[in-house]
Amino acid sequence: MTPNGAAIFVIVILAGALAASEPIGFLLLYAVIAAFARFELGARTFAALLRSALIVLPLAVFMIMVWVGFVGRSPAEIAAGVPGTRVAAATYVAVVCLRLFLIVLVIQLVALRFDRLTPLQFICALRIPATAKRLLALTLSLTETLRHAVERARTALIAAGVITRRPSLRNIVNGWMLVQTVWLSAITIAVGRMRDKWPIEGTIGRLDDLFQRADPQRLGDGDAIWLLLGIGAAVFGIGIGIA
Amino acid sequence: MFTTPRLVLIALCAALNVAVGSIVYLLKLPIYLDSIGIILCALLLASERWAGFVCASVAGTISCVIIFLLVNPFFIWFEMTVLAIALVSVLLTARFTALFRSRPLPHGTFAAIVLLCGVVTGVVSAIVSAPVVAYLFGGVTGSGSAFVVAFFLKTGEQLFKAVLLSGLAADPVDKVLQVLFAALLYRATPADFIAMLETPATTSAAGAA
Repeated sequence: MTPNGAAIFVIVILAGALAASEPIGFLLLYAVIAAFARFELGARTFAALLRSALIVLPLAVFMIMVWVGFVGRSPAEIAAGVPGTRVAAATYVAVVCLRLFLIVLVIQLVALRFDRLTPLQFICALRIPATAKRLLALTLSLTETLRHAVERARTALIAAGVITRRPSLRNIVNGWMLVQTVWLSAITIAVGRMRDKWPIEGTIGRLDDLFQRADPQRLGDGDAIWLLLGIGAAVFGIGIGIA
Repeated sequence: MFTTPRLVLIALCAALNVAVGSIVYLLKLPIYLDSIGIILCALLLASERWAGFVCASVAGTISCVIIFLLVNPFFIWFEMTVLAIALVSVLLTARFTALFRSRPLPHGTFAAIVLLCGVVTGVVSAIVSAPVVAYLFGGVTGSGSAFVVAFFLKTGEQLFKAVLLSGLAADPVDKVLQVLFAALLYRATPADFIAMLETPATTSAAGAA
């Protein structure tokens, strides 16, 4: 599978997950994803399942608290103006969670499928405009810069006694100062790079050269198979929902 | 339009949205604080409205995708809200850049303008978000405002009305805070950086004026 094929595959499954309303629609999409996981990832699927569960589980607990615990009715019952039951509310939460888990899982699977590529290699392989590639590369580079800025600002503010290392009321009151310090630190670094470092090193020119030399792969047979399966499952699921 | 300083700005504003928005989402507070970067981007590019709108929208979209991929699977469906916030910020909030940077700061006027811009942004955002929350997710997303929707549902309101009321109750407060934070960050941003964001045409026009 190519990175471009993977990106389209994710979009197809997302559209299918959003449009599916019947259990059979979800089942078909889960079947396609299970096959994708089996053939493209093998044993590493467990890591994707674990990460997806870690994202969706807190959300599920929160929605159970709100819908089953507090409201006690499903949205359909509310719309119909009937008293409603907690069972219907729980069923509704289960369907939403199935949909969310599907979305998160397909993203995690694709991310793991390409984890051997560096972010820059992945960007080079995508068929997107050069400006978008440059923006993605700069975003990745600045993410690292921001991480350093956060660490430095946090250490300085802890040393100055403005915030504390552990959760505290002082952190809530003065947390805003951390945001401001990080922002100023990041801006100062960015200005320094744009004015001196990047022009001297020719960073942007080199980046553009790299993107021009890169030859994004065309969609291959592997992509076609997964895309056809994904589109088939999504369309079938939508069709059943309409019928 | 996409000069290197502007691409850097977009990346920084997107990162700001992701950092603050993710923390607030995980704490389940009934506010969002995930659009400070969008408003700030519009303020920093106030001299060119169209560029401001495009860059603020791109920054919002990138943060939307990152939050969706890493933290909140509901988030991507609020892209229209991102565009609406960018539009209001460019058309309304960015008109007051001179006031936001004036020294000494006229506190009364500053507070009134922040309140006005925040409330307008909040009302627009609530109206644009309500159909997504009501019809796509049945009223409950993973954010803390779900408690407010649940409260209105418990009082017997219909779903769409409960979502809209919850939005109108929470969004203006949230957006007033976001406009305030964006204005303070804008005020603290070095003039060197703002000058780098202007295209040569804008700079020479400003010089001629």
